[in-house]
Amino acid sequence: MNRKLFVAALGASSLAACSSDVKSQLTNTFRSQLSVAQNLNEAVIGTRGMAKLYRESDINEPFRTNGLATPTDTRYADAMRDDYRGYRLPVDGLVERPHTFTLAELRAMPLLTQITRHDCVEGWSVVGKWTGVQLATVIAMAQPKATARFVIFHCFDKDDDGTEYYESLNLHQAAHPQTLLALDLNNKPLDPDHGAPVRLRVPTQLGYKSAKWVRRIEIAATFPNTLLSKGGYWEDQGYEWYAGI
Amino acid sequence: MTHAPTDPQPGERIYRHSIAARTAHWLWTFAMLVLVMSGLQIFNAAPYLDASYKTDPAHRVLAFDAYTGPNNQPVGTTTIFGHTFVTTHLFGFTDDGSGSEGPRAFPASITLPAVQDLADGRLWHLFFGWVLLIAIVLYIVVGAIRKDLREIVLRPSDLPKLLPMQLYYLRLRPEPPPHGKYNPLQKAAYTLVLFVFIPLIILTGLALSPGADASLPWLTSVFGGRQFARTWHFLLMSILIVYFVVHMILVFANGPINNIVAMITGWYKLRDHDGVGA
Repeated sequence: MNRKLFVAALGASSLAACSSDVKSQLTNTFRSQLSVAQNLNEAVIGTRGMAKLYRESDINEPFRTNGLATPTDTRYADAMRDDYRGYRLPVDGLVERPHTFTLAELRAMPLLTQITRHDCVEGWSVVGKWTGVQLATVIAMAQPKATARFVIFHCFDKDDDGTEYYESLNLHQAAHPQTLLALDLNNKPLDPDHGAPVRLRVPTQLGYKSAKWVRRIEIAATFPNTLLSKGGYWEDQGYEWYAGI
Repeated sequence: MTHAPTDPQPGERIYRHSIAARTAHWLWTFAMLVLVMSGLQIFNAAPYLDASYKTDPAHRVLAFDAYTGPNNQPVGTTTIFGHTFVTTHLFGFTDDGSGSEGPRAFPASITLPAVQDLADGRLWHLFFGWVLLIAIVLYIVVGAIRKDLREIVLRPSDLPKLLPMQLYYLRLRPEPPPHGKYNPLQKAAYTLVLFVFIPLIILTGLALSPGADASLPWLTSVFGGRQFARTWHFLLMSILIVYFVVHMILVFANGPINNIVAMITGWYKLRDHDGVGA
């Protein structure tokens, strides 16, 4: 009877964090000094070129899940009812024409399918086939105002403390042709564990940028309106906002 | 070897390392210490290496694991090419940095931070990656301008001297072959580290990055894909650690005070059999 301890630890961490919740003794001032490297990395690597495309035979099935647990939020339960008929995706904020999409409307838009690698910050990677709407299309329909800089993804999932998951990209990253609002994974509509009904897919950055269970897309001039925000749930836990490396 | 009358004689002090070379040397020494320790912290988040473009247990070359043994005792294991060794307390099931032990590939004593904190490990690693790069570029550029690199880079004419030098080290030959400031084996080691291992460890690290894979797709591909690049990155770290151990043994065997003083002040006291430079 060999109970795998790593599996137990990973099970716990898939709820709590990509790593455990312990924080080292660094001061935030020192952290911000170390993170100047992030600016260099973004300047040097940035979001250029195209993520490598893989073959059908490379696909991982089942596809490994990551991040927080499937939302238990009542809003998510409402959206899920009747095959997500209650789901609405507003695109609002600093835009000329706010839009609200139903799942059927998103599915009626031109869909792109690509087989790309999902790189977790922990160091593992899996290959999946994603079908979805280019984020650029949805954003263009809403017509961002001149002052807009960021696209913020508000999600249904929360951690044990009740903190909601969110993520953000800048308009350049959001306009990358491979940045998708994914609807299908491996030829099937997303299941609840993989972010149903709509998740972000950013193959040029680490997995934590690919927010699951997206419930609202906000176009903004700054990160969400809290002083402490670093641009995303994991960013607020100390991970880099630029996750190309 | 014989010296021309104008050459410095054993016992004399010569100016051996430029200020740029010394600065670069200590910068990359510190950078590599931080990079190894923060790298092990990052490794702990996915404690296995695959010889594949994606995570694939069928091509696993190294894995650390932990499970509960027959007497309810935790067991830590290390598996190399399918051969499993029990390494409880050393690897696999180790000190977690907060006063107890847990499933953890490398122990808190050799990771940065000590506790498992991937985000801070990455902050250290990605910052000191730049320090290493800047130190190496500084060393090579200043060395090329000052023509110091000539003394370090292995040349075809050094190749026949490698074996005699090894025989001298093994005390099978009374005198080293004639050479310049550095002997042919030193030149071989320094050339490999400066121009092969360190550039490769930087490139394999970059190859792990999804952003770099998109903008420089050849980079990740030449190393066999992301997970394979991670395996090469780890192997290169192991090679550099072996190099460091040998480097320390030789420094201590050849007058540690003299060598360390020289790498701090630049001035080196010549010993018998030392080459004096071009």
